[in-house]
Amino acid sequence: MPEIAVESLVKTFGEQRALDHVDFNVRDGELFTLLGPSGCGKSTTLMSIAGFQRPEEGRISVGGQIVFDAGRGIALPAEHRNLGIVFQSYAVWPHMTVAENLAFPLKVRRLKRNEIKERIAQTLELVEMEPYVKRYPHELSGGQQQRVALARALVYSPSVLLLDEPFSNLDAKLRIRARSWVKDLQHRLGLTTIFVTHDQDEALSMSDRIAVMSNGEIQQIGAPEDVYIRPANRFVAEFVGRVNLIEGVVSVVDGGKVVLDVDGGRRLTVDSIDSARVSERLTVVVRPEAMTLLAADDPLNGTNTWDVDVHATAFLGDHYEYELEAGSLRLIAQTSRPLDGSRIRVHIPGDACSVVE
Amino acid sequence: MATTSHSFEALPHPRRSVIPASLLQWLTWGLVFTLVLGPFLPLLYASLRDRPLYETGGVFTVEPYRELFGDRVFWHAWWNTLQFAALTTTMAVALGAAVAILCTRTDLPGRKAFSRFVLLPLLLPSLGMVLGWIAVWGDGGYVTSFFNQRLHVGVPAIDTIFGMALVEATRLMPIAFLTCQAALVRADSSLEDAARSAGAAPLRVLRSITIPMLRPALLNSATLIFTLSIAVLGLPLLLGVPNNIQFVSSYLYTVWTNASSPDPGSVSAGAMMLLLVATLLLLVRNRLLGAEARFVSVGGKATRVALLSLHNWRWPLAASIALYLFLTTLLPVLGLALMSFVVVLTPLIAPWELFTWSHWQTLDDGVFQNSIRNSVIIALVGAVLATALVALATLVAHRSIFRFRRTLPFVLLYPRAIPGIIIGIGFFWAFLLTGALGDWFRNSIWGIMLAFCIRNLPLAYIVMYPTMARIGEELDRAGRAAGAGWWTTSRRIVLPLLRPAMFAAFILLFVELLNDYDPAVFLVKPGTEVMGATMLSQFIQGAVGPVAALAMVQVLVTVVVLAVGSRVFNLDTTGGHDA
Repeated sequence: MPEIAVESLVKTFGEQRALDHVDFNVRDGELFTLLGPSGCGKSTTLMSIAGFQRPEEGRISVGGQIVFDAGRGIALPAEHRNLGIVFQSYAVWPHMTVAENLAFPLKVRRLKRNEIKERIAQTLELVEMEPYVKRYPHELSGGQQQRVALARALVYSPSVLLLDEPFSNLDAKLRIRARSWVKDLQHRLGLTTIFVTHDQDEALSMSDRIAVMSNGEIQQIGAPEDVYIRPANRFVAEFVGRVNLIEGVVSVVDGGKVVLDVDGGRRLTVDSIDSARVSERLTVVVRPEAMTLLAADDPLNGTNTWDVDVHATAFLGDHYEYELEAGSLRLIAQTSRPLDGSRIRVHIPGDACSVVE
Repeated sequence: MATTSHSFEALPHPRRSVIPASLLQWLTWGLVFTLVLGPFLPLLYASLRDRPLYETGGVFTVEPYRELFGDRVFWHAWWNTLQFAALTTTMAVALGAAVAILCTRTDLPGRKAFSRFVLLPLLLPSLGMVLGWIAVWGDGGYVTSFFNQRLHVGVPAIDTIFGMALVEATRLMPIAFLTCQAALVRADSSLEDAARSAGAAPLRVLRSITIPMLRPALLNSATLIFTLSIAVLGLPLLLGVPNNIQFVSSYLYTVWTNASSPDPGSVSAGAMMLLLVATLLLLVRNRLLGAEARFVSVGGKATRVALLSLHNWRWPLAASIALYLFLTTLLPVLGLALMSFVVVLTPLIAPWELFTWSHWQTLDDGVFQNSIRNSVIIALVGAVLATALVALATLVAHRSIFRFRRTLPFVLLYPRAIPGIIIGIGFFWAFLLTGALGDWFRNSIWGIMLAFCIRNLPLAYIVMYPTMARIGEELDRAGRAAGAGWWTTSRRIVLPLLRPAMFAAFILLFVELLNDYDPAVFLVKPGTEVMGATMLSQFIQGAVGPVAALAMVQVLVTVVVLAVGSRVFNLDTTGGHDA
């Protein structure tokens, strides 16, 4: 099974630069996610790989075969790239039955009638849709249509699977079920997959690796844990999950530890920052769930424990969310048990902090 | 899993098309360009030669233009035409907008039925309707006489500029209606709800929100109606010329048919001038319109349309619209029917005493029989060919990466703005210049069919394009990703989904081709007559009864085809008529 190499793609729409030197590699059998807000270029990237967009610069190869090379004027038409793709709208052809939808790519490949039948049966079994073989799309639910779209993308054994926001038209419950189901299927088939989404939960729960995109550029590529815990920059930190940004000036550098002077005379000791210099200004990110909330009279005191005012609280089912004020600084923290009083304490673990640009 | 591994055997590569997609796209593009723009070059050429193109030894000259511009009758004809077009446009737009608002935004009784019947005048054969108007409302017509003699009140004469504008306005009013209706349906009625909530009374809402929202639609339909009314030929020939009122189109027709030396260059020059004006108007209209906004978008969520209540005005207004339809559509059709069954058209003697079958019997022979047969063949074959060509061209324009695809919509819509007689004269010269092929077209009905088809390409396009735009692009991308080329994807996925619109286009084209006449008046020869052209020439020769019978044939076929068509498939896509 191949890997996909995307090198230095550039695409402009009028004045707007949709892709600005996008580079990444997808490993064999990997589920690789392009994550970002709408307009960040993730779909343009996917459509460039599929052959529906033509970038001005760059190269794309799939399994060692170059499918696009702007410099050499190579642009293999979409129909010769042998990729499976599931569109946001599913694009299940409404005038064909489920069987006819699946048969189309096989007929184009001149398979014999019995081979077509056999493959359709196998693939529908794979997506658990055998009973619906004679149905028309309008007789299926959204979730079922999505399975048909996936089956149609798999039936001709494509070298790579591309998923363009496939869950965005499903309702919330179904979406979560579909996620694990698609992930499981992809894993079983060992199919190299590129998945495009704007939903960080989907990206984190499904991906082997994530590329976070913004303004046509890749901001960070890494495993879900990397992206979440060690965001490369402010954009990634803020886009992937909720986050507190704390700015401060370095006052002490002591081996692995760095002490920051934060607004209002507070101090924050942060673990493991490479190459920090005294009096440098740094931004530190801390996830809300990494912070610990304590009662105002809690005996625990010391490093990274601050007195704060409670600005607002919200009950969110499985946890409480606190909006806190520490001087001019606003913080968000999560806790599973509520605290009384308008003044409490917050503890920020030094190892939960990471520095962003 | 055993099945899984089996499922991932490598498959053969998809087969490549025998014909490369780009060849098909080039052919389609080339054909559309040649057919639409082709006739105008010979026209321009003919207007700059000192003798007809088929005579040898012609030299370049601007004499035709000098001759034309020196003719005071020509300038007077322009003045008449402009007055007529302005009056027509004002009346048609005001009426169309009013009826559209009543039918889409109020609780008018019978608004659904009205929105259908109000379209009829646009689809009925225009020449036949003019005859019907003459029978009923003309000088000495049934209703006119009734008013004059029994009620001693006059009715407006229809053989004046104002009268002709009245007749034409009732025919073109549906264009304004459709455009405004589309805009109103598209517009979010919560805008009006918001004004109501803010304390505005219904009439205030109408004045401050609804009508201003319609402004683009009003401008758009006004430009189109103005362009179309400049080109009208049958109306001035049947009503104006007998009363010494010439329009540009009738002037050109008269000069052409009465010229001492055949095929004078000044007619080509006049046609060029008309073409220039029509093209300028089209460009103005494109300016006014957003590129895509000209099309009715039926898709989107079906929002509940808030209705303004008319209270006590409900029934009086409904009655007025019904009366309007009765007077302007039903009565002329009835008058036409009557005209086809009486020996002479006179209100002085009871019609049943003048009853005769002879006019209908006349249809069974000679030129009439020929015309009916030719028209039906042209309508059938032409509708099939034009539907196919436009479907293909729409695919290339909107579903391909063909280099010049963006030029196609303009060219497909261009004939809409071109007066039929210009297309006629253009093809006349084009056939003369293209040797054996041209001769074959010139001497058979296929030349006329070609001219009719070109004139009606825009209709097919504006019926098909909105449907095509609603077919999600991901559907054909899915086909491409599955390994099918452009043509296979188009044939197996896009075209089947376009079928309802193609059928609607076919029905409308059939009706239009059956009833079209003005491009043909320059192309007909003995043996290639078509209904409309025959009606015109026979009427001028005084054969009123048989012409009325022929017009009734058109009306009946039109109504039956439309009724059957809209039963088989909901023909509401006529909404496209507004572009």
